[in-house]
Amino acid sequence: MLNLIIKKELKEIIGSSKFVYSFAVSALLILLTFYVGAKTYQINKSQYDAAVAENIRSMSGITDWRMINHKIFLPPHPLSSLVSGISNDIGRNIAVRGRGELSPTDSKYNEDPIYAVFRFLDLNFLFQIILSLFAILFCYNAVNGEKEKGTLRLVFSNAIPRDKFILGKIIGSYTALIIPLLIPILAGCLLLLIMNIPMTGEDWFKLFLILIAGFLLFGVFINLSVFLSTIVQRSSSSFLLLLVVWIMFILIIPKVAVMIAGRAVDVPSVDEINSKKNQYAQQISREFMNKMSNFKASPSADIMKEFQKFMEKNNTERDDKMKALTEKLNQERRNKQDVQENLAFTLSRISPSASYSFVTAELAGTSLNLVRNYREQAENYQKTFAKFQTDKTGGTTGGGMTFVIRTEGDNKPPEIKPSELPKFEFTQPRLSGSLSSSLSDIGLLFIFNLIFFGASYMRFLKFDLR
Amino acid sequence: MNNTQEIFPMLQAVHLTKKYEDGLLALDDVSFSVNTGQIFAMLGGNGAGKTTTINIFLNLIEPTSGQTKINGIVSHENPLKAKEYVSFVSENVMLYPEFTALQNIDFFVRLGGKLNYSKDYYRKVLLRVGLQEDAHNKKLKGFSKGMRQKCGIAIAILKDAPAILLDEPTSGLDPKAGLELIRLLAELRDEGKAILMSTHDIFRAKEIADEVGIMNNGKFVMIKSREEIEHEDLEKLYVEYMAGYMEKVA
Repeated sequence: MLNLIIKKELKEIIGSSKFVYSFAVSALLILLTFYVGAKTYQINKSQYDAAVAENIRSMSGITDWRMINHKIFLPPHPLSSLVSGISNDIGRNIAVRGRGELSPTDSKYNEDPIYAVFRFLDLNFLFQIILSLFAILFCYNAVNGEKEKGTLRLVFSNAIPRDKFILGKIIGSYTALIIPLLIPILAGCLLLLIMNIPMTGEDWFKLFLILIAGFLLFGVFINLSVFLSTIVQRSSSSFLLLLVVWIMFILIIPKVAVMIAGRAVDVPSVDEINSKKNQYAQQISREFMNKMSNFKASPSADIMKEFQKFMEKNNTERDDKMKALTEKLNQERRNKQDVQENLAFTLSRISPSASYSFVTAELAGTSLNLVRNYREQAENYQKTFAKFQTDKTGGTTGGGMTFVIRTEGDNKPPEIKPSELPKFEFTQPRLSGSLSSSLSDIGLLFIFNLIFFGASYMRFLKFDLR
Repeated sequence: MNNTQEIFPMLQAVHLTKKYEDGLLALDDVSFSVNTGQIFAMLGGNGAGKTTTINIFLNLIEPTSGQTKINGIVSHENPLKAKEYVSFVSENVMLYPEFTALQNIDFFVRLGGKLNYSKDYYRKVLLRVGLQEDAHNKKLKGFSKGMRQKCGIAIAILKDAPAILLDEPTSGLDPKAGLELIRLLAELRDEGKAILMSTHDIFRAKEIADEVGIMNNGKFVMIKSREEIEHEDLEKLYVEYMAGYMEKVA
């Protein structure tokens, strides 16, 4: 009996002309998403390679490691092209000096603002916007539509238990809509292989989990649609209601959650922090200038060497003070940001769509953690770079002045070898880390499915079949 | 009527009362029975209680008091068992518009528990109810009401249940299709089916029914056998009973 109802649902959905058109559009968009993702990765990779090469090239002819303008770059990752998250919004390049604060610059959207207008086509967009509507389109009238058609009365003139009918309907709808979508998705994965996108085993597994989360979101909209079709009498009304709920879930709740959190937790702006830093920098600069005006070299000493030492000591002192203040201000800001983010994310999880965004971005390494990871890894690299510079020159570059005096007759120092420069390798978050961060949201999506499924099931047991 | 069949009440309504949540008394102590090989026609205007009676037989709603029985099984107490003995044809058979006639029939017949029929048998029954062969593989969305009704009758025949419930089966059909349906019902009666039909169509009711009940405001105001109404003007009777009842109520 259950099989019969499932098969009927499959036939009814797949055999409809509505399915043919919607599936064609969805399949095309899925393939396009994978193609655009792969192509974007290739473009980003070649831009990254060119930027790294240009960074090395810019060092040619330089004879002092303190004279280089060294930059590190965030390398593109295949998954970040499939789920862009915040990867296009954050600065990808960081000018690295031996000390001082690091500021990422040149985001993708900053470089190519046209992409910021409509954003990229990615899996997040595909599941949240296209496939959720696809689910609504096919299930908004799952039960009330049958009542309107008169088929429900005819079905229940037979010895059919209600629970089997609703179970068959939900399983049938799910199977009919998901299995066909697997074809273009598998074709998309094949496209990644054909286009030689370097995906590791871990990346494939993450992609698999991203797709599972996508289908869980898809399931939420199927179950929600079936549920609303059992509580609203007319199918046209349930369609409108579903559109309202869809707008709430996709657009309103996540934005409102962020707005509420923004109001509730006051995070000092970057300008405020910079203003405090500037005031303090001016203060210690004045102190430094006073010290410099009082500088007197010992008569016996090499005046330049002593001045150099004096400068190095004061620069370090000044940097340490600035660093302490910066770290304190940044930490305060980060703590408040954490509270704000936690509040915003917790509130936004009322919407399954927000949970889905968190899962995908976390697994693709394009969540807010990307900013922190990149900054942390850049700061670690800065230490390595500073040590390298010190080893090579006896000092580091950073805030303050560096005097290099050459006198005529000195031999021209040899050119530096940029290949000796320590390489910046950005490490993607490990699977275990991403998984533990995203498991709660995957669980939440599963719970949303269970809630709406249970609600449809219970509601249908009392449904007026006339 | 086929006299070789054993005659016993296949469909029974016993002191059936239905009061809806809004206070409307749709059925008020209705009792009747339909034997095997018999057609019972419920006549009455809109809101008389005809469809409510059928809905209670099908356990789509529960009675406030009293009961309906199909083959002796109380519908609301053991609905799944009771529904094994009944087929249903609604006023406006819609079926699934994206399925062909054969696909629709296959689904509903299997739902009715008949799993071993061949496509050829489906075709044979469709031809018997008057649906031309070229329509068998066409999607229902292009069918007229009469064609859909024929599919509905075919499903009822194929389920081969001993009782058939028809809710306004001739409503909206052209005279030819109406006549074909009536002839078919007569054949089914002769095969021993107990048929309960609700209708507005006095002439068809008189033509085919073995018993006619006139319903008004949830009550039978008259139940007469074919013999009793054979020489009477049923239309006049209908109007008189309705008018008399209305006066009585007033």
